[in-house]
Amino acid sequence: MSSDERTGLYVESTIIMTTVRLVAPFVLTFALFVMFHGANSPGGGFQGGVIAGSVVMMLAFAYGIDAAREWLDVRVVAALASGGVLTFAAIGLGTIVLGGNFLEYHLYEQFISHVVAYAIELVELAIGGIVASVAIGLFFLLAAGFGHAVDSPEGES
Amino acid sequence: MIEQIPVLLVVLPIVGGAVPLVASLVSDRAGWPVATLTLIGQVGLAGLLAWSVSTSGTVSYAVGGFAAPYGIELVVDGLSGAVALLVAVVSLGVLAYARQAGPHSGPFYGLYLLLVAGLTGMTVTGDVFNLYVFLEITGLAAYGLVASGRDASAAVAALKYLIIGTVGASLYLLGIGYLLAATGTLNMADLATKIGEMAAYDSTLVLTAFGLMIGGLTVKVALFPLHTWQPDAYANAPDTVSAFISALVSTVSAYALARLLFSVFTVEFLSAVPVARWALVGLACVSIIAGSALAVSQDSVQRMLAYSSVSQFGLVVAGFAIATPLAVVGATVHLLGHAVMKGGLFAATGIIERKTGATTVNGYAGMGSRVPLSAFSFAVLSLAMVGVPPAVGFVGKWYIVLGAVNAENWAVVAVLLASTLLTLAYFARLVERLYFAEATIHAEEPVPEDAPVTDGSGQAVSFGMIAVVVLAAVLAVALTAAVPELQAMLEDTLPPLLNQ
Repeated sequence: MSSDERTGLYVESTIIMTTVRLVAPFVLTFALFVMFHGANSPGGGFQGGVIAGSVVMMLAFAYGIDAAREWLDVRVVAALASGGVLTFAAIGLGTIVLGGNFLEYHLYEQFISHVVAYAIELVELAIGGIVASVAIGLFFLLAAGFGHAVDSPEGES
Repeated sequence: MIEQIPVLLVVLPIVGGAVPLVASLVSDRAGWPVATLTLIGQVGLAGLLAWSVSTSGTVSYAVGGFAAPYGIELVVDGLSGAVALLVAVVSLGVLAYARQAGPHSGPFYGLYLLLVAGLTGMTVTGDVFNLYVFLEITGLAAYGLVASGRDASAAVAALKYLIIGTVGASLYLLGIGYLLAATGTLNMADLATKIGEMAAYDSTLVLTAFGLMIGGLTVKVALFPLHTWQPDAYANAPDTVSAFISALVSTVSAYALARLLFSVFTVEFLSAVPVARWALVGLACVSIIAGSALAVSQDSVQRMLAYSSVSQFGLVVAGFAIATPLAVVGATVHLLGHAVMKGGLFAATGIIERKTGATTVNGYAGMGSRVPLSAFSFAVLSLAMVGVPPAVGFVGKWYIVLGAVNAENWAVVAVLLASTLLTLAYFARLVERLYFAEATIHAEEPVPEDAPVTDGSGQAVSFGMIAVVVLAAVLAVALTAAVPELQAMLEDTLPPLLNQ
């Protein structure tokens, strides 16, 4: 990856950087708000995850894609995606261990009260993590351009 | 434990698919062992489930404990049990091929297992909307796998596949919308009783839903003239992926089409609305003829095999649409047999290309002596596909023809018999080249060691790759012995679907 050729595309702007710095915490909060409201109102992990992913895209626009790529650890993105899937599966399989069917939430009731709501929220968060990390990964792959895909084996980051 | 297997069959590959992504951060080669372990478990579970279905009948499962018409129900009967086992076995077999043939990255195996999860989900679900969700998972994973080739042509083929496949899935979704408007339910068993009761079979609403849903799935099955994505996708993907998706993706879509015909619209619908049956049989017959004609005119062997699939799936869909018990058994046998044979044929082309550089019909001349084992397996698989007894291809076609004769559908009988001749035309040409023609590519001009093959992976051919092809050839013959068992399993579970 030749970052030298690419730096020309990025223009530093104090206005954009300040705005993004100001707006980013609110956008992330809104993302969590949407995820937590997925259980009983419009919203959920898919929409919230996309909003959370857009935070990283805003940062990339403000501070440069290469800077954002270096700042964001690829391990975090991979862990979010895999961890989300494994969390969802663990919640579902847990009820089988307790003698019920897959995702029969109310079986956890014996441990924690109102667990149905908590379990659904946790599943929404897991989905949000998967969606956000995939959106971020796709953004960086697209931003890298076709030359990057040909240079590195398998074309995956 | 047995009753939990349907959901475990879907969850296991999803969990397995999440691991290679993280594992690839630690080791480049972690994907393959994880996928192998997962799929060994998958084969065990699917085998146990198929055994349970054949001894004690249909297994159904309410996800989340929500009762059937409202919650999502998973239903495994003889047909879906057999297809689920096929998916597990073929995906494990292709892994043995992938170990050497690549691609080797962690994300590739993540996608691979996701595709297994999608295919298994389509097989075991008893809910039309859930089927759509798994259809999309299957589609997205398949687009990604096709694009994993390093050539630009693989990316173009994947994009074409994506656009056409998404249109097909959207048509199917639109059809579900019409059915939901007509009956207010999404559960297959519930739909089967409510269609005809709440909306007449020949009402515009039900006919539109039928057209959209079946039309959408024929895109995925790749019947002529909706097959245009398929030759590019099969020919440009890495050999591992070609073998995998040519064996399973269209197969499971054809299974889903049969499931809609028998479990949602039912045979009474086909009898009450002859035009629907004739449209489907007509489409299948056109596909048989056109697919064969296109296959004969191909120069590239992989494209020839792809067009051959268009023709063979015409045969399978014709068998399902005729819908006599014998024709359905035949179509199922041919569906399963075709998966093994076509996957084996694609795997064999990969080996022959790596060893000799031959990719075209003319290039195959005289290769019988250069790659004896692979070429022999290729020949056996070709003849099995033509329908030479005692191979499984013969049994499937024979039952479909008998079913058509029983239904006194003489036009279809004529097309079916003609199709065998056409299949012979393009496969006999290849087998003749392999063994009786003067070589056009000579051993004295070996392929340079660093010459890139279509997918840019290594030239080496491992024992595992050849073993897979030989095993496919053996199975293509040996599966004939399993047909009575399959027939008994289908007859136990199908009469309620085929009552007439």
